[in-house]
Amino acid sequence: MVSLSMKKRITFIFIVSALLLGLLVVRVAWIQFVRGDELQAKAIDSRLRNIDIKAKRGIIYDRNGSPLAISVSAESVYAVPSQVRRSQRVDEIAEALAQVLELDQEEIKNKLNKKVAFEWIKRRVPDEKIQELKKLNLPGINFVEENQRYYPKGTLAAHILGFAGIDNQGLSGIELAYDKELRGISGKIMIEYDAAGREIPNAMHHYIPPTDGHSLYLTIDETIQYIVEREIDQVMKVKQAKRAAILVMDVKTGEILALANRPVFDPNNYADYDQGTWRNFAISDAYEPGSTFKPVVAAAAMEEKMVKPDDRFYDPGYIKVGKETIKCWTRNPHGSQSFVEGIQNSCNPVFVTVGLRLGLDNMYKYISGFGFGAKTGIDLPGEATGILVPRNRAKEIDLATMSIGQANAVTPIQLVRAISAIANAGWLMKPQIVKEIRDSENNLIKKIEPEPVRQVISQKTSQDLRAILETVVSEGTGSKAYIEGYKVAGKTGTAQKILPGGGYSTSEYIASFIGFAPADNPRIAALVIVDSPQGVYYGGQVAGPVFRNVILDTLRYLEIPPELPAKEETKEKKLVVPDVKNKAVNDAVKELKKLGLEVRIEGEGEIIVTQLPPAGTEVNQGSTVVLYTQNAEDQQVIVPDLKGRTIKEASKILADLGLGMAPQGSGLAALQEPIPGEKVEKGTVVKVKFISPNAEPYEETIGP
Amino acid sequence: MDYYKKIFNKLDFILIGAVMLILVMSLFILNSATAHLSSSNLIKQIMWICFSIVVVLIILRFDYTMFTKYSKYLYVLNILLLCSVFIFGSEIKGAQSWIKTPVGSIQPSEFSKILLILSFAHYLVLKQGQLKTFLDLLPSFIFVGIPLLLILKQPDLGTALVVIAIMVGMLFVAGANRKLLIGIFGGGSLAAVGYVLGHWKFGWWIPLKTYQLNRILVVFDPNIDPKGAGWNVWQSKIAIGSGGLLGKGLGGGTQSMGQFLPEQWTDFIFAVLAEELGFIGAGLLLLAFFVLLNRGLRIAALSKDLYGSLVATGIISMYLFHVLENIGMALGIMPVTGIPLPFVSYGGSSMLTNMIGLGLLLNIYVRRQKIIF
Repeated sequence: MVSLSMKKRITFIFIVSALLLGLLVVRVAWIQFVRGDELQAKAIDSRLRNIDIKAKRGIIYDRNGSPLAISVSAESVYAVPSQVRRSQRVDEIAEALAQVLELDQEEIKNKLNKKVAFEWIKRRVPDEKIQELKKLNLPGINFVEENQRYYPKGTLAAHILGFAGIDNQGLSGIELAYDKELRGISGKIMIEYDAAGREIPNAMHHYIPPTDGHSLYLTIDETIQYIVEREIDQVMKVKQAKRAAILVMDVKTGEILALANRPVFDPNNYADYDQGTWRNFAISDAYEPGSTFKPVVAAAAMEEKMVKPDDRFYDPGYIKVGKETIKCWTRNPHGSQSFVEGIQNSCNPVFVTVGLRLGLDNMYKYISGFGFGAKTGIDLPGEATGILVPRNRAKEIDLATMSIGQANAVTPIQLVRAISAIANAGWLMKPQIVKEIRDSENNLIKKIEPEPVRQVISQKTSQDLRAILETVVSEGTGSKAYIEGYKVAGKTGTAQKILPGGGYSTSEYIASFIGFAPADNPRIAALVIVDSPQGVYYGGQVAGPVFRNVILDTLRYLEIPPELPAKEETKEKKLVVPDVKNKAVNDAVKELKKLGLEVRIEGEGEIIVTQLPPAGTEVNQGSTVVLYTQNAEDQQVIVPDLKGRTIKEASKILADLGLGMAPQGSGLAALQEPIPGEKVEKGTVVKVKFISPNAEPYEETIGP
Repeated sequence: MDYYKKIFNKLDFILIGAVMLILVMSLFILNSATAHLSSSNLIKQIMWICFSIVVVLIILRFDYTMFTKYSKYLYVLNILLLCSVFIFGSEIKGAQSWIKTPVGSIQPSEFSKILLILSFAHYLVLKQGQLKTFLDLLPSFIFVGIPLLLILKQPDLGTALVVIAIMVGMLFVAGANRKLLIGIFGGGSLAAVGYVLGHWKFGWWIPLKTYQLNRILVVFDPNIDPKGAGWNVWQSKIAIGSGGLLGKGLGGGTQSMGQFLPEQWTDFIFAVLAEELGFIGAGLLLLAFFVLLNRGLRIAALSKDLYGSLVATGIISMYLFHVLENIGMALGIMPVTGIPLPFVSYGGSSMLTNMIGLGLLLNIYVRRQKIIF
């Protein structure tokens, strides 16, 4: 019999072995329960080959349901290399594929020899080639239907739509911004494979059908887009410009009705175009807007009651701000003018003056209020914020230059949205590009409603400014945008391009025009930007006619009725100004009002000393006649505004008032000293500079 | 036949039941694990089992004490057998451990373990009470060391470790100085681990090939050698982990059916079992082994003489180490050394060896009291 001590030792061995076995059980439990899920997933991963079946990408329609981007299916060829190798016909198969698909045989051979389970040979192959290959019945060579994006309208709205890549993934534009909705949910064929890449017979073969992507209805109107594309092509061709952009917005909703950029690309073959053409610079690039920014400054100043439409200004051709001098754009100074005339003339000194009155705080309040310096939130990728002079670094000279649209850089979309806000009773809207999202069976998934951001200016300011901007087109620099029968409001802009190293170019300009129509009840706003036109470069001349054509055709297409009778009829209503000299003020006012003329009285006397325009002048109904009064005992006289008078008229008026005249040059009065409205002693000699009319183009540019 | 009737009632049916349970599970698992191979493999295994049972019956026919008479011959036979692989053996997977015969390849190092147990047990009986000092133990080390070195020469690190485990178990039960044993083998194990880690971290010289080293290092860093040993262990863990509580069902083991598991019918058979039968199956198998060890050690304790106790202890040490090493490897806590799981892994030599072990255990048990013939 064995000894007791040995039994103890055997028991010890038993305890140790029981503990060790217990350890194994714990370890099994740990792997199976604690790490089970993770390892389970790994197990599925390592043996399942998922072949994605891409969902059909949703269709993009315009607002009226016309398709702009659709998906068409095409078959692709792929190989299961292990199957090909097992047939031991690699060379032969590579040769056949190379021949039919016009590919390099060596390359295909390399693919077939790869140690992978799945390899594309060629994607989206024309049907006849697929049929040819199918007849050959090559082992390990398979076919799968894939969808391809097709843009039936070619370049139309290319920058809005963007494009989708070979794997149906949105890469730019709406295709990228709404990729999640358009993409759908991929289906799968799950095939179980063993470690050597062989399909397991009777193994799991699971098919999950794809869910097609949602369709989008854009705010874009295909017809308006066509109009815009036609016009932008025309201006690019005629003006040989570097770039151009046109945006059309519904002022009430902020919906983008059309948006086009040049140069453009065809999204069907986007890869064949320079990447620069893909850029939607209407939202991605900031530029100095120049005079087209002036309506924003005007809106701010009017809302803050810093200026009234008939406030008088005097432009000697330049304005001094601190040590700097800002010139007006014309060589013929505008002289004395009202604020309204200042806008019509796009007069820089007027806007600098107004801007300085407004002050930095107010200026920034409205710049931000109108949405500059921040993204508009449009549903397109790559939007820029623009660049504002930082508020804490802004000085008086910055305030002066930003008043005439310099110093700050804005994006076209920001600008067109701001003008829309001015037109839309001051309400700033979020720009909208997608109206509705519908599923593949056309059930409504989501409707995107117009989104007001804030009211920047009052209804009253909006109304006043609309009327003023309308006169820019009817009487001022924007005359090229004039449309018979419609009241169109607008503003020109001619900005010198900023050189890459800083400073302004003296040879390249950005000609632009911004505006809306109808002025009384605005519906659409548009911005036309032409970058570096050849030849004439003034915004009014280059962009004005483009704006006109876009607005006119759009108004007609939208069946917005003309609100004015033809201008010829009003032209007939000419009046002859009567002579009211030496009459009592009250009598004179009554007489003139009866005829349908407006009256402005200068001075505090009771008897009319002289009048402007002089008696016998033909004027339009509603024109203003300025009456100068004087008390007999008063030795002080208010200097009259002589602008536009002939030498003869000017000398007569001055004589009537008891003033002398020192004329310079010939033509019509342009500049004078002392300036209008100043009180001077009787007998003072007024220096008047006359310049010949039509000597210079009646267009503005921003001087350095 | 009369003889067998006489001993029948004295057999340890719990032990036999445990082994039969293990064999049944083995056959079902082998059926899935060898599904991709020709179906003759399973039949071959069944034939080996049948043959082994015959061998067990033959062993039962004689009194195990008879082996003490032939100890010297058994020891010499062991040496010759181990030497024979260097003459007749063929190299499989970098180790010259196999001899091809008309009935299949035979792995002499498997049988070597039994021969060693039998001869070493007798040697220890003779040395009884003289295992107190290191010098006392030294001859024992040399006794085991000669076949051990031959096994290492093949190289077959796994079996060599089994031999050491057998030696330690038997020395311990034979009454060797406890402190000395723990000092030598505990310290030796720690030194070995430290040496490998030293090589790994500080680049100490080590007489191992990279692949051998990686099989050990995988215990410390599962991400090592991702295409070799690391991959094997990783796939094994995935298979076991994805089994869960109930497993994927017989034949439903996707990792094994997909042949992601290397050597899944031998070295990594446990992973297949755990994947297909889950925690329940793996637990049942480990329970069966527990019973096997329990009954085996009970036999060692009940043996009528020291020789029987030592033989039983040697066999149980062999089983235990095989189980710990094989399953531990599949679970990523032991180095990758390709030794089979007793009664479960595919392979004739292993099955026969383990069945001989079972036969010896039963023999010792049956003769715990004098049988009157």
